[in-house]
Amino acid sequence: MITPLKALRKNKFKTALIFFSMVVAISAIFLISAISNGIVGMYSTMLKTDGDIIVTQRGIADTFFSDINYTIKKRIEKISNVKEVNALILGAAPVDNLPIVGIYGVSENRFDSYKLISGIYPKSNEVIMGQKIYKMLNSPKKIVISKKEFNVSGVFKSKIGFEDGGVVMRLDDGSKIFHKSTSIFLVSLKDIESKNTITDINHLNSDIEAKTTDNFIDNYNQFKIIKTSSDVISALAFLMGVLGIVSMMSMVVNDRKVEFGIMRSVGLPSKTIIIKLVAETIIIAIFAYIFALALSYIVLEIIQNTQKFQGYINGEITFSLGALIFFTSVLMAIVGTLLPAIWASRVDPMSLILRGAY
Amino acid sequence: MTLRANNIEHFYGSEHILHNISLEIMPKKITAIIGESGSGKTTLLAILSSLLKPTRGTIYYDDILLSNIKNIDLFRKKNIGFVFQFHYLIDYLTLKENIALGALKESDNIEELIKTLGISNLANRYGNEVSGGERQRAAIARALVNSPSFVFADEPTGNLDTKNAIGVFELFRNFKDTSFIVATHDKKIIDYADIIIEMEDGYVKNISSQRT
Repeated sequence: MITPLKALRKNKFKTALIFFSMVVAISAIFLISAISNGIVGMYSTMLKTDGDIIVTQRGIADTFFSDINYTIKKRIEKISNVKEVNALILGAAPVDNLPIVGIYGVSENRFDSYKLISGIYPKSNEVIMGQKIYKMLNSPKKIVISKKEFNVSGVFKSKIGFEDGGVVMRLDDGSKIFHKSTSIFLVSLKDIESKNTITDINHLNSDIEAKTTDNFIDNYNQFKIIKTSSDVISALAFLMGVLGIVSMMSMVVNDRKVEFGIMRSVGLPSKTIIIKLVAETIIIAIFAYIFALALSYIVLEIIQNTQKFQGYINGEITFSLGALIFFTSVLMAIVGTLLPAIWASRVDPMSLILRGAY
Repeated sequence: MTLRANNIEHFYGSEHILHNISLEIMPKKITAIIGESGSGKTTLLAILSSLLKPTRGTIYYDDILLSNIKNIDLFRKKNIGFVFQFHYLIDYLTLKENIALGALKESDNIEELIKTLGISNLANRYGNEVSGGERQRAAIARALVNSPSFVFADEPTGNLDTKNAIGVFELFRNFKDTSFIVATHDKKIIDYADIIIEMEDGYVKNISSQRT
């Protein structure tokens, strides 16, 4: 361990270049993964609140376009295993000077999932606002949504960025704005074994489709698009990181030919040189990972508190994501170093020394 | 251990560096390979010491064909030491760490070597903190750490003044069980060699013995 650290200290400039190229790559992977995780996580949490089963319009690709008849709610409530049914209208509209804000029309029985920090739950032509958007709009008493004026009856706090930056109103008020009676039903069950209940709900009306919330989230196209985009960008960042390391390590190997020639001349095997170089890069990768993790937390905090994002971009670095990126960073170091290291270990020692000397 | 080279040819690209060289290095002798710059001394030394593969020809250490040795690194570690003109100590290691770099586990003569070579008080210093002569002594200690049969030295006195240069050869004389093969164009120190191999334009021009 001492020798790689000494070598890194000796080659400070190149060590720093490798370090920063890895920090950029790892931070990019962290941020894109954390943001996509955050978006998926926020929306998933929102749907899972009081929702073992989600009911949407059959064959619709996005919950925002879903339109189902509110009257089905009573028929679902009569199914024996059903504990409660929440009706929601999911929409987005300009609010005052903000170009797009999440608007949630909800049935009265869902109000208590919004924890009020001031005021009361809304009556007709009233709304409650998430704390973030309430602050952004300078604590308004009234707001205009789609040319209609609503009184602000209360403010709630939510860990879900879409809600904290959104506006909640009664379902019938939402219905007037978005011209639909309901977007989705969220059904909570007495007994979590839901298979029969799903079949029962699906038999009620051919225009609706019931799924477990988990199944819906796993197959939700928007999440797949976000996840795939995130994976592609992460893969590109990984590749850029690897290429950065390969090019830097090629320069390092070039600078240190004499050193490797000497090692070979005293009988150190090729694998010692490979292990030594890989160990050096892994050490850099570990420090770069720690730095990138800290940097990502700072950037995510800044994004979360940047007004123009309205709290909708809410990065989430979970332990499993952190662990995955740690192994990715180490892998990046190994893959990026192997090629130059193998080259350095295979050349005749004398060629290394002569090429390095002149 | 005797070293035999048979019909060695070597090219760098299309440049023919060594021409059909055959020779034998006797054990426990100091052999000087002399010749002008560009005569092929360094290339021959590198090939004889296994640091460079010849384009054609064979090298035997006793009856062992060098190209047949599977673990050439271990063979080199046990039997061959190398001293370079520019010392080539690894600069982020102390003199002692440089000397121990290729030491076999069973090598227990590092302290003794350091003492014999007169660098005991410098052992924990780095290469850039000591003089050229002291660096060269450390490089020689590194070559001798596993008590090899052969030590190859390429212009070992090239960067030293006369006093230090003679000191190096006197040091070589202290290690009587080791054969030293030295490439040099320093005429002052040729007198210390037992055998002289003269090279010219990649050919061995003459081999002569100075002592019996």
